[in-house]
Amino acid sequence: MRRRASLVLLALAVFFAALSPLLRWYAFPRLVKIPPGQYQEMVLEAKPATLLDYGTLRAEEVEKVTIVQTLKGNVEESERIERSAGRDVVVWDCLSYVEGPDGAMVSQIPERYVFDAHSQAPVHATGESVDGEAVRRGGIEFKWPFLTEKRDYEYFDAQTRTSAPIHYKGTRTFRGLEVYYFEQTVPWTKVRYPKKMPIPGIDATTLEQQTGTTRWYTTKRMFWVEPVTGAPVNGEEIHREELRGGTLLGGRDKVTAFAGHVKVRPDYVDHTVELVTSQRRLVLLMTSHLPWGFLAFGGALLALALVLEARSRRVSA
Amino acid sequence: MRALAAAAVGLVAALALVLTVSAIGQPPGETSPKPLLTTVPGPRK
Repeated sequence: MRRRASLVLLALAVFFAALSPLLRWYAFPRLVKIPPGQYQEMVLEAKPATLLDYGTLRAEEVEKVTIVQTLKGNVEESERIERSAGRDVVVWDCLSYVEGPDGAMVSQIPERYVFDAHSQAPVHATGESVDGEAVRRGGIEFKWPFLTEKRDYEYFDAQTRTSAPIHYKGTRTFRGLEVYYFEQTVPWTKVRYPKKMPIPGIDATTLEQQTGTTRWYTTKRMFWVEPVTGAPVNGEEIHREELRGGTLLGGRDKVTAFAGHVKVRPDYVDHTVELVTSQRRLVLLMTSHLPWGFLAFGGALLALALVLEARSRRVSA
Repeated sequence: MRALAAAAVGLVAALALVLTVSAIGQPPGETSPKPLLTTVPGPRK
């Protein structure tokens, strides 16, 4: 009887000990993924800000400029791309909508971002775009990979349509969470006009050709990233845009189109921290708690099996 | 020999469980009917 019990315990010990690495290195990359149908909104504000009045073409100090960023998972498109990509893919249709203090639209830029559901690596597929123009992203955007490392990452900038390193600058504590702080500075770069702008009677797509006035942009981008989930829990940008030269400015060299320190609205920070804290527990369960727990439990069962086996041999001897 | 068989049973059971759960995966869900926002949402509760 004791011998049978020790064999059952041995089988269970091997079962749990084997589950430990299988869970961490086989199941984790296959099961922990961004859901393809995720919908997420984020509100950011610059208070105060400098904003160009397109009626007078003069920069004015305004109380607030709001940026509403929506990410919407397109399940049908992700299933279509998965058939040729051979891996789990997420397609995010995104919109950055900028609103002035009077509630009027300042600009809006749609994007389609296609990426690997687990590793966050970009997937290149038809439809990948920024403001209706095809792009080929390098690096990450919006989110870091699960189990983010203390290193620089390539980060895609939608305004310049290029990728550049975003630098790891140290570990911080944010609302009780350990986070990695990343920073990227995009130097003054000539960029396209958004296709939707509040200029009555002027086609933004041909504005530069018609007037010779160019749009320039620089930003310092900061992210506080929870490393287990790879989710930013806070983000800020010190953002400046200028119009330079041409006939539009009435002889002036340049005029500020937008300047402000953009921060996530506090209620969205609270919501994000709450969401990330719960998701963090689930990821830790797969990567740490269950693997180590199963390994320890397997070890204990093995010890018990050996004790029972030794006793049964002593009795029979 | 019996110990080896017991260990093999445990190993195969663990493999079968993880492979099955991984193969089933997550349900894909549906595209949200909510629009991409062009208004500023009110405070989150």
